[in-house]
Amino acid sequence: MASVAARYQELKDLDVEVFSCSVDSQFTHKIWQEQELSKMVSGGVPFPMLSDTGGRVGKLYGVHDEENGVNIRGRFIIDPDGIIQAMEVLTPPVGRNFEELVRQVKAFQHVRKTGEPTPAGWQPGKKTLQPGPDLVGRVWEVWKIGE
Amino acid sequence: MSCEEGVNIARVGKKAPDFETNAFVEGGFQKIRLSDYFGKWIVICFYPGDFTFV
Repeated sequence: MASVAARYQELKDLDVEVFSCSVDSQFTHKIWQEQELSKMVSGGVPFPMLSDTGGRVGKLYGVHDEENGVNIRGRFIIDPDGIIQAMEVLTPPVGRNFEELVRQVKAFQHVRKTGEPTPAGWQPGKKTLQPGPDLVGRVWEVWKIGE
Repeated sequence: MSCEEGVNIARVGKKAPDFETNAFVEGGFQKIRLSDYFGKWIVICFYPGDFTFV
């Protein structure tokens, strides 16, 4: 969470509301914030830390590990219509990639604004594709991998 | 909990399951309802537990 908190401003600049969620109580969140997070990140975690005691929310999102009683690492991007546009679920030993989260948010925001689908690895400013009958079988002519 | 019972499980392209839960926010405690934030882009990050780091 500290790594997301440290770069929260980048998501805020994209008008994204961020929530973290674990099975810890809100009281535990408070102690973690005061005793540790605030010492790792200036000001501590700036977004709401949700308490999911019992794992009810984790179950709704398919990330609750019944055996261990915890929510595993899952990340969801929800658009302004309340539609889930992306989800990433990882087993515990591997952490998230913040750059990839930001890239996906930017790409989904671009698609929502323009209707232009973004090809693999797209970054803002890079080429998008116009789908249609003319493009079928001719992507190789207009777009190269890594472009 | 099964799909037959109409329980909404998160899937891409589908409405995000709504919930209300306790939260620690800016030094205080409050209830957060996800649907209160619909209309904005939202990122939810689940993680195994406080005081762990990956």
